Amino acid sequence: MAELKKNVGQTVGGFFKSIGGFFSEFGTAVIKGDIFVKLSLLWMGAGYARRKQYIKAAIMTVIQAAVILFTVKFAMEYIPKFGSLGTVKPEKVFNMKTMKNEFNDYDNSFQILLFSLFSFVVWFAAAVFWMRNVVNVYKLQKTAEAGKHVNTFLEDLHAYKEEKFYVTLLTLPVLGVVIFTFIPILLLIFVAFTNYDQNHMPPNSLFTWVGFDNFLSLFGGGGLTATFGYAFVRVLGWTLVWALFSTITTYIGGILLSLLLNSKKTRMPKFWRTLFIVTIAVPQFVSLLLVRNFFSNGGIVNTICSNIGLTGFLRDIGLVSTSYIPFLSAPGWAHVMIILINIWIGVPYQMLIATGVLMNLPSDQLESARVDGATPFQIFRKITMPYLLFVTGPALVTDFVKNINNFNVIYLLTENVYTTTNQAMANSQAKEVDLLVTWLFRLTQDYYNYKMASAIGIVVFVICSIFTLVAFNRMIKGDREGTYQ
Amino acid sequence: MKFSKKVLVSVLAAAVAVSPAMCVNAAEEEIDLTLWGAEEDQDLLKELVGKFEETYPDQKFNIEIGVESESTAKDTILTDVEAAADVYAFASDQIYDLQKAGALADLTEYDEAFQAVAGKSIEDVKNANSESSVEAATIDGELYAFPMAGDNSYFLFYDSSVISPEEAGSWDTLLAAAEKAGKQVGMTLASGWYNAGFFYGAGFTTDLNDDGTTSMDWNGTSADGYTGVQVVQSMLDIAGNASFMAIADGDTSNQIAAGGLCAVVSGTWDAQAAQEAFGDGYAAAKLPTFTVGEDQVQMGSAFGYKFVGVNAYSENIGWAAVLAEFLTNEEAQIERFEARQIGPTNKVAVESDAVKANAAISAVIEQSEFGVIQRVGGKYWDPSKTFGENIAQGKIAADDEAGIQAALDNLVEGVTAPVE
Repeated sequence: MAELKKNVGQTVGGFFKSIGGFFSEFGTAVIKGDIFVKLSLLWMGAGYARRKQYIKAAIMTVIQAAVILFTVKFAMEYIPKFGSLGTVKPEKVFNMKTMKNEFNDYDNSFQILLFSLFSFVVWFAAAVFWMRNVVNVYKLQKTAEAGKHVNTFLEDLHAYKEEKFYVTLLTLPVLGVVIFTFIPILLLIFVAFTNYDQNHMPPNSLFTWVGFDNFLSLFGGGGLTATFGYAFVRVLGWTLVWALFSTITTYIGGILLSLLLNSKKTRMPKFWRTLFIVTIAVPQFVSLLLVRNFFSNGGIVNTICSNIGLTGFLRDIGLVSTSYIPFLSAPGWAHVMIILINIWIGVPYQMLIATGVLMNLPSDQLESARVDGATPFQIFRKITMPYLLFVTGPALVTDFVKNINNFNVIYLLTENVYTTTNQAMANSQAKEVDLLVTWLFRLTQDYYNYKMASAIGIVVFVICSIFTLVAFNRMIKGDREGTYQ
Repeated sequence: MKFSKKVLVSVLAAAVAVSPAMCVNAAEEEIDLTLWGAEEDQDLLKELVGKFEETYPDQKFNIEIGVESESTAKDTILTDVEAAADVYAFASDQIYDLQKAGALADLTEYDEAFQAVAGKSIEDVKNANSESSVEAATIDGELYAFPMAGDNSYFLFYDSSVISPEEAGSWDTLLAAAEKAGKQVGMTLASGWYNAGFFYGAGFTTDLNDDGTTSMDWNGTSADGYTGVQVVQSMLDIAGNASFMAIADGDTSNQIAAGGLCAVVSGTWDAQAAQEAFGDGYAAAKLPTFTVGEDQVQMGSAFGYKFVGVNAYSENIGWAAVLAEFLTNEEAQIERFEARQIGPTNKVAVESDAVKANAAISAVIEQSEFGVIQRVGGKYWDPSKTFGENIAQGKIAADDEAGIQAALDNLVEGVTAPVE
């Protein structure tokens, strides 16, 4: 744990150091720069114009004008309303002549929130760009003062194909990440602090900030619904149990299966391997829905069980109280069945990974172990397994996180089949077999409860990131290779 | 190569087509409207829109038809009301959510424009359709949608080679007949839509309040003098009968096809499945009565309609309202019945011989007398589903009156909980 702290400390420290470095660089440039560098604070093209880089000066001027135009024309429409998220409700008057409605200039809370965030991001980028610009201009000044060659525009452009090629390569992906990942995540975080739900749906009504209310009701602290906290604890518990068991069972199952298939005694290994991979070839969507129907209360498995008398036997010993076996429709039964079905779905993937790793197992170590008279089990325990764990460890961590958010398996297997008999769970739209992510899905899809869904989303994010951080720090340390060897 | 040529040609063609249209626009504005309807309705809608354009030749329209199932209309529309269609079809249970979100125009506001263009008033439209359908489309005295179809409810399909029409009249005789034949009677209990039929029949009610919460009196005594406990006891008796099969919500068609049933409670959407399973014995009737205490009580049902509504944020809202009415008038409803066997709400259309000859539609119209427009909020569905499941699984004992009362109290507490 101490090591972890140190690691995290270093990372965080390094991050702040680089920010500090950037600011001090900017400060130096402003203080030590000549009048044109200082003028660059106001007109971003000034420094370049002084060094006769007119094209660059023009580009900077255009960018500066664009940012100012963006601020005046776009950002100022929304940002002043960011504090209240809008106050004007829609009103309309019908015009008989045109047969059209004339609306007032009403506010839309969601639009205000989204476009304000977008403006903030643009402003932030512009601020960084502006500071970098001053630093660059100061560098240019020093180059010129030292009497060195000042690049022409074409030479600068050329640099983006040579030493600065990474900039060219990364621009588009970074833009993509910001627009498609960063802004939506920010939006999600902000929604968790509003009362955006079915009673506050734009454009007809407005929503506003409510502070930590949603988190309070999620953790059962006197919020509006007492049952939300009740359901949250249970859903979270099952989510963790599920993630743990589904990861471990498929992992071990996959390794055992690949060992079996790799064994020299297995005949036709390729045939068997293909057979298992067929489960991957069929889309999960199809196979899971089919399995769901097989195991439903009136499904084929239940018909068979009742025909061979298994249902009657189970009823006699008191395991089931219904006329069918509730494979996917009673707590306990459904939990076990879901994990079992997931083994069937997940093992082939793990088998493929493990097969790949096993093929690369250093044969000299196996050979020498065999010469020394180690039993197959000893070899497995002392050589194969540590090697596998070492190589597939990071994948195991991602698997666990993936399983926390394993929407497909849970939703497709239980939706429309599983009905909770716990009234308190039902009262908060949850089921015993829900993962946080499926609960979140139903809250948004069926109940438009965006604020609670966002709060749950943040909790899922925190759980996943803490786990990943801890696991990766413990697993992927530089000296691990040594321990294995 | 071929592809790009095609694209080029079509772009050019579009450009040529657009440019004269632009000139016309300057003189006379073209009305753009978007219309959403069910996948199965697309051909019919195209035809009706064609007729609509012929009816108003002085006005140029550009009407786009999109696919949106009536059952999911609300989800799509509430995602972005301003971008949704001007005119759309939806199932009647969504009307409260849609109205609250401002997605439905109050049609009475456009009465004047309506009279000027269509030559009839909103009042005329109300009179042309069945009273209950108009009532379902009315919120606080104002009409928010035009009734299009009225068959969204459940009734009894049965195999008349096993069950006589008299035996289909009550649950007791029905289950006895099924037992004799070695078959089962199926119904979905784990759904607040189906299981409410017992309570509505015994005179209990649900209602939707202005703040989105639901009122419910099922844990008390009904207007007809029955207690909720008695109704639950009766339901438990039925559910506990070996000849009764509690069908999971949405699984009814599969169970009909499986062949173990001789009667099933379902709606017109299962008519074909029932016809195939029961063959020549295929018959349909209103729901049976059930025993409460000493009495035989007629089962009620949650009755639903299909509506066509107008988006309150529609740009050309006047014309949108006219189009919506056109799609639901007498001729349109008859055409819809002929094309898709969907029960009409129009008083004239209901009386036609073709409608009367359809067993399922006749049964649903027969049942509509006992139908109740289910006024409930979002908090109703999950608790009532769980309640039905508890009855289906026999988790409550029929003789444990205190237990039943506690379960009912729990249900009412969950359903009437405040909307956060």
